[in-house]
Amino acid sequence: MDTPSSAFGSRASERAMRIWTLVVLAFIYLPMVAVVLASLSKIRFFMFPIKSWSLEWYGSVLGSIEIRDYLWTSVLIAALVTLISVLLAIAGALAFARYDWKGRTLYQKLILLPIFFPQAVLGLAILLWSSAWDIAPGWELAVFAHLVWIVPVVTLVISIQVYGFDPAVEEAAFDLGASRWQVFKEITLPILWPGIFSGALFAFLLSWGNFPLSTFTTGAEQTIPEWLYAKMVAGYTPQVPALGTLTTLLAGILLLGGYWLGTRGRKQ
Amino acid sequence: MSETILELKGVEKYFGDFVAVERINLSVKDGEFFTLVGPSGSGKTTMIRMLVGMDKPSRGDILMSGERVNDVPANRRPTCMVFQSLALFPHKSVGENIEFPLKLRGEAKHNRKTRAIELLEQLHLSESYYSKKVSECSGGERQRVALARALAFDPQILFFDEPLSALDYRLRKTLEKELKDIQRRTGKTFVYITHSLEEAMVMSDRIAIMRKGRIVQVGTPDEIYNNPANGFVAQFMGEVNEFRVSRKDSQWLEDTETGAQYPAPPDSPVDEGVLIVRPERIRLLSADEKADSTFEGVVEHQYVLGSRVQYQVRVKERALLVETMIGQPFGVGDSVSLGWDADQSVLMSE
Amino acid sequence: MNAPGPSSLTQARIDDTGDAGTPPARERGLKALSTWARQPGFLLSLPALAVFIAGFIGPLALVVLYSVMPARSFGVDNLPTLENFVTIFQDSYYLSFAWSIGLALATTVILMLICWPVAYGLSRVFRRSMILTLLLVLPLFVSENVRLFGWVLTLLNHGILDGSLRTLFGWEVPELLYNVPVTILGMVYVYLPFMLFPMALGVSMIPESCREAAFDMGATRSQVFREVEIPLAMPGILIGALLTFVLVLGSISEAKILGGQSVIMIAHDIETAFTYAQNWPLGSALSTLLILLTGVLVIGLLSKLNLDKLLSRK
Repeated sequence: MDTPSSAFGSRASERAMRIWTLVVLAFIYLPMVAVVLASLSKIRFFMFPIKSWSLEWYGSVLGSIEIRDYLWTSVLIAALVTLISVLLAIAGALAFARYDWKGRTLYQKLILLPIFFPQAVLGLAILLWSSAWDIAPGWELAVFAHLVWIVPVVTLVISIQVYGFDPAVEEAAFDLGASRWQVFKEITLPILWPGIFSGALFAFLLSWGNFPLSTFTTGAEQTIPEWLYAKMVAGYTPQVPALGTLTTLLAGILLLGGYWLGTRGRKQ
Repeated sequence: MSETILELKGVEKYFGDFVAVERINLSVKDGEFFTLVGPSGSGKTTMIRMLVGMDKPSRGDILMSGERVNDVPANRRPTCMVFQSLALFPHKSVGENIEFPLKLRGEAKHNRKTRAIELLEQLHLSESYYSKKVSECSGGERQRVALARALAFDPQILFFDEPLSALDYRLRKTLEKELKDIQRRTGKTFVYITHSLEEAMVMSDRIAIMRKGRIVQVGTPDEIYNNPANGFVAQFMGEVNEFRVSRKDSQWLEDTETGAQYPAPPDSPVDEGVLIVRPERIRLLSADEKADSTFEGVVEHQYVLGSRVQYQVRVKERALLVETMIGQPFGVGDSVSLGWDADQSVLMSE
Repeated sequence: MNAPGPSSLTQARIDDTGDAGTPPARERGLKALSTWARQPGFLLSLPALAVFIAGFIGPLALVVLYSVMPARSFGVDNLPTLENFVTIFQDSYYLSFAWSIGLALATTVILMLICWPVAYGLSRVFRRSMILTLLLVLPLFVSENVRLFGWVLTLLNHGILDGSLRTLFGWEVPELLYNVPVTILGMVYVYLPFMLFPMALGVSMIPESCREAAFDMGATRSQVFREVEIPLAMPGILIGALLTFVLVLGSISEAKILGGQSVIMIAHDIETAFTYAQNWPLGSALSTLLILLTGVLVIGLLSKLNLDKLLSRK
């Protein structure tokens, strides 16, 4: 092991790395597989090995009007969070990485603080704050709470794209006679597009899967993760793993679809 | 040709307490190829940014065709620049890049394409490049695309910010000549900045040399080569032999360190200073050759520089650099006699 | 050579020097302030900063304010008092703090060991394989409750593990859920991506040439690891460690769902104080301590990092 055969280290260590990565992947996906299996069990309480299989719980999830309501709330919140956070983060990322201004390094650090803060405590603090302003919890407050955490994440994602582009390109367009707005529309926006796209994807998915912020801020309304938690704690039926599987699938499809669109966009 | 298109009057630029350029007075004639040369930190980039309209001068005025343009932003000046990084738009094709300034003016698609292809041809790129991506072009091709884009803008003055610095030697040489050729054909005013005096010499009608934010000399390549204003300019052109001298009489100078005698350049008013002799102006003499001054020495080192060769020759306590065409029958350890004529040296006060 | 882009501030000072007379200091200060506020970067930062102030600074400041209100008050118009903090130190709340810090440390250390080879592989051996990255990112987007529930299903009596071993070998597995190790397992599981990706960013900052140079000078594998790789990847490792530590410190779900309350985390105490106990000032006092602890750590690290360098990988 001590004498490397190549610059990458010895073959043995490279192999160990591969095996370890597979182990970690198995570790990550084992409980997800368990959820899928549980969703296919016919009986109400989970017993492994599964004796009788069934898809009926998926049917009952898809047919449930109650769940459809939660789905709508989740999608509404995630869509609004995506739209708003991307708009704020485009400006925020340009301030983060493109422009040199007094106060920038302080801004860079402040803006990241919400990422480094426990979400459950943040959710409670926002609830307290909203009650001080006499704002009732509901999906609107949840959108706001999600933004506090997701805007920094999306800003970071778009900033990485901003760092990769040469500011001279904007200057060149300006020099060639473009107005500030034309520079933004013709040059800045298209070049930042891949970052904006991944930022939007992140925003949607993070909001979609969020529990700790939603649980304190949605009030009487509920999102899918909240419903899942409530049913896990009391009133379990295989609807829980079935819906869990469906949300996971949706996240996976969005992620892979986004990646596929991204690579296709790059080829064209 | 003789009309002044660009004039700088007492231009200065500060960044906080840092003085980037100072007391710049300069005028560029219409149709001229004018080059600003200076080492890094000499203020040439600051200069060009002010000329293009990216920055405003802190003091002084910039006049274009007689009008003060200090406060006119870059997008409303009739000038345009080829950037050091070229700044080609990575998300647009070659054709779209070239058409960009035309598109901004609302030119019809058909006309834009015709013009773009015309420009491609003018720059020795075939029509097939029109739909290529910028990332598919080589370094030299990108240079041409950037230039085509700038020409499409049809500027009154075209600025260049060291666009050739990233290219290899051969390609750079080719493009230098092409650039000069295009400038001659289009009759446009080119203002070029570079850190390479050699590059400036090849292309320019006139050169301004900058150091620490000031202009130290302006002149034609010939004037600068033959009569450098000071030691900085002389050294800037490459290695030179320098001797600290004081005047002995109207004909001769004396080396203040070794006491050796050198012929004084004719009509020099300087009595004490530095005598500069370029390595290529010193000749290695065969038995029947003569020069205004002759020394005996021994070859210490020999460096082959392509078609030429440089010798380091020990003459008593001094090591002189001599550059000649390759094929001289001398090698390390040989005794040689060498010398130069009085008018081949420059004497300057410091 | 490229001169720094002139900020509007320097511009203002330059314009000042051009004036014939010197304006009074106050006027000049105002002018400098107004030109500072007109910097394009500052203007662009405003929307994000507004969210930050209205949704982060504001709520946390209110929490701190509530923490000095008398117990069980529902407004901030009382005289400040430190009684809540006295309660915290007299009661057994220090235990939840100790457990939270202990578990956060344990999780951080375990995750460092688990993630290093993967982070290393991710940015070197697997050539930044996109599919692998996607597989590792996906869990971030699945509600952590669902994933923790997956562990419950796995470790439950008659669950995946128990059921398989029973059927295949006839082994009886003792109760695996509801203890401290399984709580740690849940934390390691949930916060793995938060360690992995910053760490991979750190590893990607090690120039290949530095490693080769070290090998070339006769360094062994472990010497390269200690002398070159670890120090160069340090910013990424530190961010990952901090992120993990802080997030575990404030976590609830793992201890609830997998730990079955065998450990009470501080965030759980906070939640109880705010909800069931309806004692906002106590919950706020506990939160304040948590805010202070994370604040010191996070600001301490962030102030040392050069984010431009880290994110642009220059």
